[in-house]
Amino acid sequence: MTSGPNSVLFDKGVIRRVYERRVRLAAGNPPTILQIEASNCYARICKLTDRLYITEQTSNILRLRPKIFAEPFLADLQSLKKARYLRRWARRLKDFSFSPEDAIILAYGSFGFDLEKQTVGVDMIVTTDQGLEKNYFRNFDQIEKRFKDMILNLPEPYKDLRLPRVITTATVLTGI
Amino acid sequence: MEKLIVDTDGKLTIPPEIIKKRGLQPGDELSLIESDEGLLVYQGGVDEKTRSWWNSLTQDQRQMAELEARRYESLSEEEKNRMWSDDVESTETETEGDEIDLRAK
Repeated sequence: MTSGPNSVLFDKGVIRRVYERRVRLAAGNPPTILQIEASNCYARICKLTDRLYITEQTSNILRLRPKIFAEPFLADLQSLKKARYLRRWARRLKDFSFSPEDAIILAYGSFGFDLEKQTVGVDMIVTTDQGLEKNYFRNFDQIEKRFKDMILNLPEPYKDLRLPRVITTATVLTGI
Repeated sequence: MEKLIVDTDGKLTIPPEIIKKRGLQPGDELSLIESDEGLLVYQGGVDEKTRSWWNSLTQDQRQMAELEARRYESLSEEEKNRMWSDDVESTETETEGDEIDLRAK
């Protein structure tokens, strides 16, 4: 990795594994390798930037979990809102064989809105899903072309939007 | 990044400066993480964020966390999956009403 990201969106799978790693610690049980991987990745990225995000859905799930575990995440992570055209972009991403859930997280990467900082999109999406990373990488040129075609026809503030990088927790640990 | 060479017995030698820097002792356990991207040698222990969270808890809070953790750990994988699943956000046009329109500066 050439330079660290300024803004990172964690997918639900990453947050779940970090959460479960803490649960294991509290219960006195050994963590799994994947939980260690996600937790180390999370800790590493938290040192690189404070612009850390989750989707509204992940935030809603965390709010239903016991506060003792959920509150530190909700303090570290901002929930991105949906800017206009997020769903339109997600629909187009589904043409590249992404599942609805994957298409939504990718669309948040470009059209996720930080209400507080008034910024849109993120530099990087971190996921535990290797299939998502591979499919995105394999189709990136076509996805980029489709994205540029779409934002070209959108009003002014949307013309500067960009695609995020998609990277797995394992790649973060080996690549940064 | 350090390069490790596998010898004929499948053993790896960690450079002495890394052993010194990480405070490794004979008998210390390291984890080998295998993924599609490759292999990762990981020194066990608790990551900084998790450790910092745990250290910030009072004794009472730790007991409460332990109770909640045991409750969570007793759930089946299916129950945990349900807990972490949310309705997938719709991508249909008619659900676009909650999107925020950005204004030109």
